[in-house]
Amino acid sequence: MTITQTKTPSAAADDRLAKRGPFQKLLGRPEIGALVGAIVLFVFFALVSPTFTQPNAFATVLYGSSTIGIMAVGVSLLMIGGEFDLSAGVAVISSALTASLFSWYFTTNVWVGVVLALVVSLSIGFINGWILVKTKLPSFIVTLATFLMLTGLNLGLTRLIGGGVSSPSISNMDGFKSAQAVFASSVNIGGVEVKITVFIWFALVAVATWVLMRTRVGNWIFAVGGDANAARAVGVPVKATKIGLFMAVGFCAWILGMHNLFAFDAVQSGEGVGNEFLYIIAAVIGGCLLTGGYGSAIGGAIGAFIFGMANKGIVYAQWNPDWFKFFLGLMLLLATIVNLIVKRRAELK
Amino acid sequence: MTKFSWRKAALVAAVVPMMALSACSSTGGKPAETGNAAGAGQAASTPRIKVALITHAAAGDTFWDIVRKGAEEAAAKDNVELLYTSDPEAGRQAQLIQQAIDQKVDGIAVTLAKPEALKDTLKKATDAGIPVVSLNAGEDVSAQMGAFTHFGSNEKLAGEAVGTRLAAENFKHPICVIQEQGHVGLEARCAGVKAKVPGTEILYVDGKDMTSVQSTATAKLQASKDADVIIGLGAPFTLTLLKSVTDAGSSAKVASFDLNADLAQKIVDGAVLFTVDQQPWLQGYSSVDAIWQNKRGGFKIGGGQSVLTGPSIVDKSNAANVLKFAQQGIR
Amino acid sequence: MNANEINQQTLLQNEKDPLTHTAVHLLALEGVAKHYGNIIALSDVTMAVDNGRVTCVLGDNGAGKSTLIKIIAGLHQHDAGVLKVMGEERKFNSPRDALDVGIATVYQDLAVVPLMPIWRNFFLGSELTSGFGPFKSMDVEKMKDITLKELAAMGIDLRDVEQPIGQLSGGERQCVAIARAVYFGAKVLILDEPTAALGVKQSGVVLRYILQARDRGLGVIFITHNPHHAFPVGDRFLLLKRGKSIGYYDKKDITLDELTAQMAGGAELAELAHELEQLGGHGDLIKEVQSEVAGVAQTTGKTYE
Repeated sequence: MTITQTKTPSAAADDRLAKRGPFQKLLGRPEIGALVGAIVLFVFFALVSPTFTQPNAFATVLYGSSTIGIMAVGVSLLMIGGEFDLSAGVAVISSALTASLFSWYFTTNVWVGVVLALVVSLSIGFINGWILVKTKLPSFIVTLATFLMLTGLNLGLTRLIGGGVSSPSISNMDGFKSAQAVFASSVNIGGVEVKITVFIWFALVAVATWVLMRTRVGNWIFAVGGDANAARAVGVPVKATKIGLFMAVGFCAWILGMHNLFAFDAVQSGEGVGNEFLYIIAAVIGGCLLTGGYGSAIGGAIGAFIFGMANKGIVYAQWNPDWFKFFLGLMLLLATIVNLIVKRRAELK
Repeated sequence: MTKFSWRKAALVAAVVPMMALSACSSTGGKPAETGNAAGAGQAASTPRIKVALITHAAAGDTFWDIVRKGAEEAAAKDNVELLYTSDPEAGRQAQLIQQAIDQKVDGIAVTLAKPEALKDTLKKATDAGIPVVSLNAGEDVSAQMGAFTHFGSNEKLAGEAVGTRLAAENFKHPICVIQEQGHVGLEARCAGVKAKVPGTEILYVDGKDMTSVQSTATAKLQASKDADVIIGLGAPFTLTLLKSVTDAGSSAKVASFDLNADLAQKIVDGAVLFTVDQQPWLQGYSSVDAIWQNKRGGFKIGGGQSVLTGPSIVDKSNAANVLKFAQQGIR
Repeated sequence: MNANEINQQTLLQNEKDPLTHTAVHLLALEGVAKHYGNIIALSDVTMAVDNGRVTCVLGDNGAGKSTLIKIIAGLHQHDAGVLKVMGEERKFNSPRDALDVGIATVYQDLAVVPLMPIWRNFFLGSELTSGFGPFKSMDVEKMKDITLKELAAMGIDLRDVEQPIGQLSGGERQCVAIARAVYFGAKVLILDEPTAALGVKQSGVVLRYILQARDRGLGVIFITHNPHHAFPVGDRFLLLKRGKSIGYYDKKDITLDELTAQMAGGAELAELAHELEQLGGHGDLIKEVQSEVAGVAQTTGKTYE
């Protein structure tokens, strides 16, 4: 018995596959378009406003980006896995309220509330994912429902337990100072105060990128988002992966919620609504396909950074505030178009 | 990989909360006794009536809590069953008024943020013989809508009061921070300030995301180095603006509209210059009480005009007094 | 037609090939049947799969081919008859069961994720990891190497396994799917209509890969509705029609024409001719159909009227 070596297909394969140089490979990465968009935007605002490039102004831009970016990490991973989470915005506030109300009502050390909030946030993620896999409804619908429920719970429970629309102050309770140091402090770098959320953001992006590119779970995430049926056919645990992704969003919501709580002490129970779209926008600008299966956590981070630059840049440029939302939308559109052009160029080559 | 043990999980789930509860805080937290100042007296001996209070409050707004507290205290005193509903959208607010009519209430207290949408339904109420009062918004259209009086504070007047005070203290470049672009009341306040201090600039922020409020205000203060005072249009927002001032290393002072306990404390401490209080508790209390008075003897307070509940400036001179009421959640 | 059907019991009696010296078949179905409620999807199907042999399952749409595949792949359970793996009677509860005994299926949609690189697709579900803990890191270099090597062994030489698999042609994607199944130790390889969506040249390429897999010692089940594809590579042919087996032949006992005729269905063609006549169809078209019928009649030795 011999193994026949067929030569014709191999020659044909070589012909069709022109060698791609390293630069070409770089252009093909999902985040490259977003990076170009970010650089363009940065240069633009640097030219338009002298304040923009000052270190402490830049620190403010980073802070603004990090509060979107922390959630964008989880939302990007979820989007790569093929799903949406519309409850991500209010989930942040739910987490903050849980920690605050629990600690206040039972007069416990604030850290107890923090740990409980983590459990609750992960559970919300679990519930989102579990309902999704059990009902097989689109994630848009499932998370829309949880979004509405959480919004109501945020308001109702805060009024029931705290007596108002914002959670009571917990700044004089045990553990507040230490929790504040972990979640809401700032680090002095060369005379500039950089908020700790920026570092947390970078750390999350690093971890998410490693998981996505270098672990089995990352492979599963790409597969589940690209073609869930194919993934299931080769033995990938699709349901567990999706539930896990929702829980990852829950984890990010916990981190941001804790920051919110320890930075502002009283949490307004009506907040968070509308932010879920900003996270999705950041992920999409960063190169994550809406239909799933493609993207990166770094892309989501760049998307958040673009959003932060646009948001703060408009203020630094002293443009007429009435037109603020218009400019913001225009910036985002332009950034996405640049992203698209670069990506298409890369694929054509 | 070790198999997941349900028993272990149950054990952990039972023990951890017990340990958690034992980690108590030595300070702060829920007060042990919550005395109810309102429940001290006896209710009136008049027959029980139903009054509907229908506002345009968006969910989660601190300000309306105080209005509601005032209304509830009046209701307790006057033996009134208070039906409180709200919707920021005018069409839906009209439907709530209709529902109150259907429930055959004895009086309606309503806020007139968008009077055109409510006109027809309010006519039905007055035609059905239900007395109507308005509060908080719509002072100039109140009589047209069929209300026999209006309890409130004019937003533009309040803004002008702030503007006047700032001008008197020589502030030239205030920044008026609006947390909801397009909100008529907030825009009116800043317009009032600008009328008195022409150098006023408006900054729009996303009130739904406090971190964004902080970073945007910081950015503005970094960009406008000559801003000398920054004004928040809501107590929680003013508290955040204090942080922005620190972050930006700015020397700007802070002023405010509306009030809560923390803000009152800050005024006592001197961190915030002053605030303008439209005394929302009064708006709620008076509306309910006016209807009770009307039922009691056909009285119509106000003489066909509005009854002003503000603006009332709270600054260092009277903040200490106000503080204790603010802590009760009524100012 | 003088084609004799296979007698499963004596199938391997005179085999001289060292690979099939074992007394048992790799996979054997005897009288297997499946019904969904009232509908009888399969009845009394007998076939065998051995190392280094290709068993073709032929039939038009609705013949029961996909039901048969699903039973062998573990997606469904048969209701009657016996399924034996290496002589042992088995009933699969899930695709995992079938995979565990070495039955790998390459479905029509290939179970590849188009956006993912080739090497990620190759190792999907069976990634190589190093390190420890819940998030072990993958051995990327090794996986890329193995992918390159395995594809080369199947006759595809790709320099870049990082490109998305969606950029490969249909035939090449089939090859990757087959190479994947082969690499992960499949003993029986089921190919579900691999040439159905491919052009002539690509089909030729896929048929070559089927032979590669066969030559590496696998038992291949090749499902198709095209006898022209089946005949060159098949060793045994099972013909299905409406869930029943209408023929089970060895390559040496049947010719391509006979196979085609069996599948073509002479009775249907005769009916078609009558219908066309009644509708007043074109004379030459009817003549064509009638000559086809005559041709089929000649090869099968039956008469159709």
